Amino acid sequence: MPSSSTGPDARTPTDRLRERWGAFVDGLSEFYHAPYRQTFARAKRDEDDHFMLVVLADALGVPDPAAYHSLELLPAVYPEFHAWHRRLGLDRSPLEHVGCC
Amino acid sequence: MLLSLAARRRVLLVGGKGGVGKTSIASAVALDRARSGARVLLVSSDPAHNLAHLWDRPVGADPTPVVEAAGHGGGGRLDAVEIDPEETVERHLAGVEATMLAMLPERMHGPARDHLRLARTAPGTHESAVLERLADLVGRGLEEYDLVVVDTAPTGHTLRLLALPDQLTSWADGLLANRDRAERFGAAVRGLGGGEADVDRDAELRRVLHRRRRRFALLRDVVVDADRTAFVAVTVAERLPVAETLELVEALDRLSIPVGCVVVNRRSPADAGEVLALRHGREADQLAMLRRGLEGRDVQQVPLVGREVVGVDGLSVLVDAMTSPPPG
Repeated sequence: MPSSSTGPDARTPTDRLRERWGAFVDGLSEFYHAPYRQTFARAKRDEDDHFMLVVLADALGVPDPAAYHSLELLPAVYPEFHAWHRRLGLDRSPLEHVGCC
Repeated sequence: MLLSLAARRRVLLVGGKGGVGKTSIASAVALDRARSGARVLLVSSDPAHNLAHLWDRPVGADPTPVVEAAGHGGGGRLDAVEIDPEETVERHLAGVEATMLAMLPERMHGPARDHLRLARTAPGTHESAVLERLADLVGRGLEEYDLVVVDTAPTGHTLRLLALPDQLTSWADGLLANRDRAERFGAAVRGLGGGEADVDRDAELRRVLHRRRRRFALLRDVVVDADRTAFVAVTVAERLPVAETLELVEALDRLSIPVGCVVVNRRSPADAGEVLALRHGREADQLAMLRRGLEGRDVQQVPLVGREVVGVDGLSVLVDAMTSPPPG
């Protein structure tokens, strides 16, 4: 290795120990945080999915008294549409005129 | 008295069964107020517009001056507007389409356009457009005019329309609460060292929802505010219109919309020939029935006028008839 800072010879045993210890602490923190992060991420996704369902209700055949206004929210959720229907377990787009896949 | 009621309110909603003379009564009240020096906005939300026919002059989808420089100081005026749902829908969809095409990749433009084309003909679209425009005009009316008179569509339509602002406010509240929760969960994920926020998209959703909510909430609050608003139920003293009026008043009570007075229009005279005298007697029975059902609410009778109620002259005759004492 040309770079001395990453070469094994350049590091003192103390440095190596500090590095390993750092990696160990990161791993530990990830070990504790990951499940919570996942729970929150899932909760957020559920809220987003629910939002999508409300906005698309009318197009999916569920009468929506606010359909006219839901339409205004469509531009912001449309890009997520494909990921959404896949998550719901629908392989193909549930909207006939939207052939996203 | 209808005319003194109008002087004490900011918004009058005039409704009733088809063909009982809602447009004439609404127009006559508006004319009288303008002549008293008030700035009046007369709005027709009935898809079968009659304002232009009644005033015998063109009335547009934006406030059109009909009476100018009226009253002693010349400060009274009357602008009329016929809500055009088609135009409102077009404008609304064009706005959504522009945003959508700007945000989506080229290959999604076709589906996006198809989606909007289907929405255009969806049931409820028309009604929502009328409501959107009505909310706009009432908001503007409260700022720029002394009185807004709304000539509504026949009973069923109007009741649904008046229930909508409340439902739509809840709809917007529900979605905003959903966004708040999503935002909190998203922040928690980021606090734990993961995920990235789509801040622009969320801000856009909130902006749209807040704007809608403000508009619906304004209309919802105005229609139930007895200090500013009164519903005027117009009818004639015949069996079916009387029955429908009683149902209307009951439904308005349920919606907490204040009923200011019930107008019995085209009351036949007792002293103008045998046929009209007979009618007068039958009408008296229906009137008694109406009064019983209304339990002491204000009822105003407006006598049948001989001439055709068209244009400012015809409406003046109707205003005079409204201020004359009731027959028998």
